[in-house]
Amino acid sequence: MKSLVLKDLYNIVHNVKSMLFILIVWAVGFVPTSGTGGYLVMCTILCSMMTVTTFTFDDMAGWTPYALVMPVTRREIVLAKYAVLAVFCTAGSLFGLLVGGIGGFAMGEYTVGLQAFAELAALALVSWAVAFAMGSVAIPLVYRFGAERARVLLLVSFLIPAALCAAVYGVLWAAGVPVSEEMVMALFCASPLLALAWGAAMYRAACGIFAKTEC
Amino acid sequence: MDAILEVKDLTKQYDGFTLDHVSFTVPGGCIMGLIGENGAGKSTTIKAILDLIHKDEGKVTFWGKDLAQAPEMKEDIGVVFDGISFYETLTPARVGRILSEAYKNWDDNLYKEYLQRFSLPVDKEIKGLSKGMKAKLSIAAALGHRPKFLILDEATSGLDPVMRDDMLDVFLEFVQDEEHSILMSSHITTDLEKVADYITFIHQGQMMFCKSKDELRYRYGVVRCGAAVFGQMDSADVLAWRKEAYQWDVLVPDKEKARRLYKNAVVDDATIDDILLLYVKGERSK
Repeated sequence: MKSLVLKDLYNIVHNVKSMLFILIVWAVGFVPTSGTGGYLVMCTILCSMMTVTTFTFDDMAGWTPYALVMPVTRREIVLAKYAVLAVFCTAGSLFGLLVGGIGGFAMGEYTVGLQAFAELAALALVSWAVAFAMGSVAIPLVYRFGAERARVLLLVSFLIPAALCAAVYGVLWAAGVPVSEEMVMALFCASPLLALAWGAAMYRAACGIFAKTEC
Repeated sequence: MDAILEVKDLTKQYDGFTLDHVSFTVPGGCIMGLIGENGAGKSTTIKAILDLIHKDEGKVTFWGKDLAQAPEMKEDIGVVFDGISFYETLTPARVGRILSEAYKNWDDNLYKEYLQRFSLPVDKEIKGLSKGMKAKLSIAAALGHRPKFLILDEATSGLDPVMRDDMLDVFLEFVQDEEHSILMSSHITTDLEKVADYITFIHQGQMMFCKSKDELRYRYGVVRCGAAVFGQMDSADVLAWRKEAYQWDVLVPDKEKARRLYKNAVVDDATIDDILLLYVKGERSK
């Protein structure tokens, strides 16, 4: 599996410069208007979507049949895509944390202190979770519809987790459970675990689709 | 000699095309050529052999085992598809690093030796390589893990004759070891005439024959004759025939017999191209 992850990282390294440029331009545009939190989430989602780009590269090169004749299983090929997604989400959230944090302090959104760092760290976790959840849906979509059509369907991959979050909030509200700041913070911190659980379910779906795919 | 690859009754159905009960065996130490016109089913056969597509019927075994049941055998199989399979921004050095993480038997020194032998620049991006260099890189990558069986799907197509000859030398070296074999699909039948030990011919999804190349070369012939001789010919002696502008070209399984029987006709040796053309474009019943 390491070879598959390495291949994607080598393939994407050429896009890093343009990606950094876009993220910095976004920082200038979004941190003052949408705040650090908004920038962090957008930054991480954009990086996570590079996973779909790796599928495009694979299609262009005819990689998948080649991967299947290597001593790796179809499940490992799918798992490698999730590992790459996790790497991209981590890189995006760390970059967003760094640049967004600097912007947030510079704009006076935060004042240097433990609480600000804790809030930023929680935001980074949430952005990681949101991006990972979206990317998790994108992977089975790509296996089912191909990279280009899946890009169009990415909205679905955003709407599903968003609808689930809204549904959870609705259930809590209907049950009369007060949503306190501590609770929100706890949810923020737990969000990566929820995203990983969601990712595990999507991984199974992707494996099911890819098992039937003929190359 | 033990079979490395055994294909039995391999069948795959698509809308408008059926690969129909294809069977052949590749013994150790030999090169099996897979020929046929475009769309005949060569690549479908290779994909089904490699489990890239689901088989509707039939059985494929490598060293007596099903690849799906014993995936560790992939360590011993090298594959070259038509095309490089690696994204254009990778370099030969990075391809080596990727594959070294995939194969337990990866031999980096051997891979580098091949790169050097094929005059491939280690750090040049694939997009900057010529088509011939890309083919050479694919072959180096396939050989780098010391496979015992090579599957080449149009691996030499698009190469100039000099490059093809270099590659054919590599393939001949590879099968010097009796434990090694190659299954090689190619449109370039002259290449197969140079290196193949056996030829399997697929036409419209049907297997026409699987024979030793020597049998084809030394026994098959093409009778070039007029209407009178063609009329005399026993249909049992005719494999395929085609009416040309001024003569009949008739593929026969025994050219010496034809030379004895039809003294007024010219009987030429049959090349693989002749055989393929007469089967594909000619008539098969007289």
